[in-house]
Amino acid sequence: MNENELELVRRQIQLTFDEIQYLIRMLYSTKDYHTKNLTLNQLWNKVSLLHFLTNMLDQQQISSTVTPTLPQPSQPAPPSHMNQTTPQTVPQNLPTITREQLANATGRNGNPAYVAVGGIVYDVTNNKAWSAASHFGLPAGKDLTAEFASCHAGQQWILSTLKPVGRLV
Amino acid sequence: MIDPHHVLPPEDMSNEAIVRRLTEQANVRIQNGQLKKKKLVWLELTGCSGNIISLMNGFNPNLEYMLTLMVDLVYSNSLMAAEGEEAIERLMSVLDEEFILAVEGAVATKNNGLYNVIGRWRGKPFTALQAAKMLGEKASHVIAVGACAVDGGPSAAKPNLAECVGLSDIVKRPMIKLPGCPCHPDWFLGTLAHLLMNGVPELDNMDRPLLFYSTLIHDRCPRRPFFDKGIFAKTLGEPTCLFKLGCRGPVTRVDCPTRKWDGYVNWPIGASTCIGCSQFGFPDKMGPFISYDITRE
Repeated sequence: MNENELELVRRQIQLTFDEIQYLIRMLYSTKDYHTKNLTLNQLWNKVSLLHFLTNMLDQQQISSTVTPTLPQPSQPAPPSHMNQTTPQTVPQNLPTITREQLANATGRNGNPAYVAVGGIVYDVTNNKAWSAASHFGLPAGKDLTAEFASCHAGQQWILSTLKPVGRLV
Repeated sequence: MIDPHHVLPPEDMSNEAIVRRLTEQANVRIQNGQLKKKKLVWLELTGCSGNIISLMNGFNPNLEYMLTLMVDLVYSNSLMAAEGEEAIERLMSVLDEEFILAVEGAVATKNNGLYNVIGRWRGKPFTALQAAKMLGEKASHVIAVGACAVDGGPSAAKPNLAECVGLSDIVKRPMIKLPGCPCHPDWFLGTLAHLLMNGVPELDNMDRPLLFYSTLIHDRCPRRPFFDKGIFAKTLGEPTCLFKLGCRGPVTRVDCPTRKWDGYVNWPIGASTCIGCSQFGFPDKMGPFISYDITRE
């Protein structure tokens, strides 16, 4: 981003603040339920835009090759060195977990939600892609090595975002 | 890096304002004769007609605008006056002309398509399978509207007695996919308008317009702060994060949180969990919709 573009972003941030103030004043003056809803929605949009713009400025300081055309993925982006299908470095001193223990870790009734991929057991209890301890029809408590390979080929980096809790024996 | 065509504030960037600007632009181009109405065929195959009903609930623009100014709707078994062979006759008449094809519903393939007969043609049953193939090959553009047309959806859910599949399994050609159960009227009308005015909108690697399908519901969810703090609802009535009850917002990509439904008033997470209806694999891969025994830490 050159100085001109930076200036544009800063100006847009300033304008967004002005608009937010306008929308807040409007919220006070309107009594209509639907207008209120719409205004709140617009406020939400503006805040999100601000978030986006400030992120853009932040990232600008880190690297100069930001492409802000698409919304930022909430999944951590794959670190460049993990794009290859290199085996993950997992802590060596993990406890062993038997298949029975894994089968019990269904994420229900107080049990944690575990899944195994490539001999490593991961905790997905609070992983956002595992709501209700299931992921695209796959329940927790299973060895999903084959399923992972068929759906996430070349996306080994996903495993690095999970918490390893043991080795499957 | 900043697109010179971006509209910067103080011009209003809300959905309504954008629609207003686009509508004005379209009206000018229609009056100048730069835009010609195109023919549209809306096929209902194996489904519940939910998408055409959803379409009738469109506001920006509405159905009347679509029918009078955007397209010449040649065939829609729900909306047209003609019936029986006369209706199928109209459908056949379009084959030699240029037309856009919108398809809702899956294609039933069992027994050579006989599980869904959509009309009679020359005294013989005319199946959804035949219609999909025949029109899908000839159309200038194909839009798969709703979960069933996109990848089978509820029609292809287990045990899938009619052996339903998505349109792209039958019609091998590029098509725009608008998953959703149903498809939001704006998603369809916006795609159609883009098609008429500027050609095929930019699509993601699963053929969904980025215009509508680029944001994860979870990323714009008003309940998101509760997720970040680990505050999870125990019942549907609570205002906190519904993740532990089975919300599929974290795996569903579409703009519901900012667009909303029924005239932009509310949306599923306003009252319950997201069931992932706009995600491929819905509904079988999005279940269970609600669970009460999920472990919370």
